Amino acid sequence: MAAASSSAVAHWLPTVPLTASGRPIFLPGEVERYLLPSVDLDTEENSSLPSLLSGLLVLTSHRLVWIYNTSSSAHAIPLAAVVHAYPPKKSIRHLFATPRVRLQISLGGRSELVTFVLRGKTDPDVFHGKLVEVMRERAWEREEEKEDRSDARREAEVRVRMPVVGVSGILRKEQEMWENTDKSLQDAFQDLNALMGKAKEMVQLAEKMRLKLLSSLTAQTNSNDEEMGSKQDMQDWLLSVGIASPVTKESAGALYHQQLSRQLADFVKPPLEKAGGMMSLVEVYCLFNRARGTELISPEDLLQACALWEKFDVQVMLREFDSGVKVIQNKAHSDDEVFSRITSLAQKPDALRKGVSPSDAAFTLGIAPALAKEHLLTAESKGLLCRDVSADGFRFYINLFKEIDPDNIYSCKTPGLFHAWISATTVSG
Amino acid sequence: MRRRPGISGLQSAAATRDQYRLVGENVAKIRTDLMKEQLETFRSQLEDFARKHKNDIRKNPTFRAQFHEMCAKVGVDPLASNKGVWAELLGIGDFYYELGVQIVDICMATRSTNGGLISLQELCTLLCQKRKAARDPVSEDDCLRAISKLKVLGSGFGVISIGKRKLIRSVPTELNRDHNEILEVAQGQGYATVEQVEKTLSWSSGRAADALETLLKEGLAMIDDGHRDGKRRYWFPCVAPISVAAGSDGLGIDS
Repeated sequence: MAAASSSAVAHWLPTVPLTASGRPIFLPGEVERYLLPSVDLDTEENSSLPSLLSGLLVLTSHRLVWIYNTSSSAHAIPLAAVVHAYPPKKSIRHLFATPRVRLQISLGGRSELVTFVLRGKTDPDVFHGKLVEVMRERAWEREEEKEDRSDARREAEVRVRMPVVGVSGILRKEQEMWENTDKSLQDAFQDLNALMGKAKEMVQLAEKMRLKLLSSLTAQTNSNDEEMGSKQDMQDWLLSVGIASPVTKESAGALYHQQLSRQLADFVKPPLEKAGGMMSLVEVYCLFNRARGTELISPEDLLQACALWEKFDVQVMLREFDSGVKVIQNKAHSDDEVFSRITSLAQKPDALRKGVSPSDAAFTLGIAPALAKEHLLTAESKGLLCRDVSADGFRFYINLFKEIDPDNIYSCKTPGLFHAWISATTVSG
Repeated sequence: MRRRPGISGLQSAAATRDQYRLVGENVAKIRTDLMKEQLETFRSQLEDFARKHKNDIRKNPTFRAQFHEMCAKVGVDPLASNKGVWAELLGIGDFYYELGVQIVDICMATRSTNGGLISLQELCTLLCQKRKAARDPVSEDDCLRAISKLKVLGSGFGVISIGKRKLIRSVPTELNRDHNEILEVAQGQGYATVEQVEKTLSWSSGRAADALETLLKEGLAMIDDGHRDGKRRYWFPCVAPISVAAGSDGLGIDS
């Protein structure tokens, strides 16, 4: 049933390709502006087109993208096709109904009236305001203009900066600094105090909210939509104020983290392949933030986003080693495969003689030395390797003790590992 | 609400329970609205504050430190997430997260020389060199805050206090008390010998030798056997007065 109805819609609304993690693939220069969960797409006037129920609506600078709840496919309405956006009606009758935003769309020669039913407890006025703002900007038309303008702006900046040369320049700078600091600091501290007073009230309210959230999460597992909606709200609110919100197995955390989590899963795939299937969390943090440029994410954002991966069906996972090192690992990249490669490396004649150091393993496996060391340690705890600690540092040898029969310690099976070791180590002399 | 006997009594009891539940939910709903309202007022206050003092926060490290202290007292964490009102309106998030990235870079670059322990002073010097573009000044307090944020990523980022100095650790090696005391001894001249350690700390020779060997293995110490008296010296680059900053050009740290 769903397949049949969606094909009718597919003829009308263009589909949007999604990445493997369920994020829409954006056009060049397209920026995400607003996210709305639980939105229905209705065409009330024209009953031949079925409605799309309960999806995620993404307002970008170029389009309105509607993603199915299962994140399997998506449709988009280019903003250029929106003729008019009706503001949400304010009347007694509409006060208790689910908020609706109507758009007049002209697409592919057809003119339709599309209604977005906002079931997700979001403010329709805010959405409408943002929609109007984005439509007014007309970002999709401004692609070439933007480039020229940014060059001009850069030149202007260079010209305006005052040359600070010579002693007078330095003195002048000092003077300015002094004046500025003195004047504004007085006000600043006063304002800061006032601000903090208000913040304290918020924190008290937040504490109550947080306790409620925690108790309701642990107490009941059944959920009606009302409850879930307000819990999501609370999470988002706590996040925006700057108070740690509890992300448990039941809750999905703030919407921001959910989207970030999907974005990360996409971003991290190519570098992960290059690094051999495993990367430390610190590296990912640096890479991601450098790529972002502005609006960087905090380490906690990253951790939350990674923790959410187990709820979605993505190809990467977060893993913590005993030493506390956290890494991101490709799900396909299994430990057994690594162990087999390590053991084959440790059985080479060179390795039988001199052992394997973390840097050797790193070179062969193609991963960072710190991670190679973790792998060697894990292999040792599984009984595949033995360590040798000397002034040269750590070296690992293949575990021969398993080969030695306790009843007959001098027996040596040929061909066998013990035999190979004996022949390798006695050759050099 | 009188209690009535019989089936109708049960039904009315169920009905009243439902009504109470609805009222309870409404109270919760009102709370949500109250939350939103509070957030709006707070947000506008913060916007005013930001308009007047955003520059102060960026340019004045003392003010910044004061700001952080007050936030901590109140119980909010302005650096918790990029999505919070603090990051959005004050722009304070980007400053610290970028600082975090730069600190990680510097630690990685110097790891081969100092084994993962770098003094806070040296880190700040290298940071200032890296941020040469005369942007906003960075204080030691800022570094410490950025590092405390990095801690959640695992991989052993942390701060150790040795005497008056602070050392930044970027490897998961655990340093026990013995090691810390040796580092204190080494602070004076940048190196320590087994005898020095034994005399200053009154340890047995085995204990001193063990601890020094462990530090050597972890890569935090370097051996020097070239002195005329033949005694082996253990040098610690992280507490040595000769800083790595002097030779930073050769380390390939890009600005």
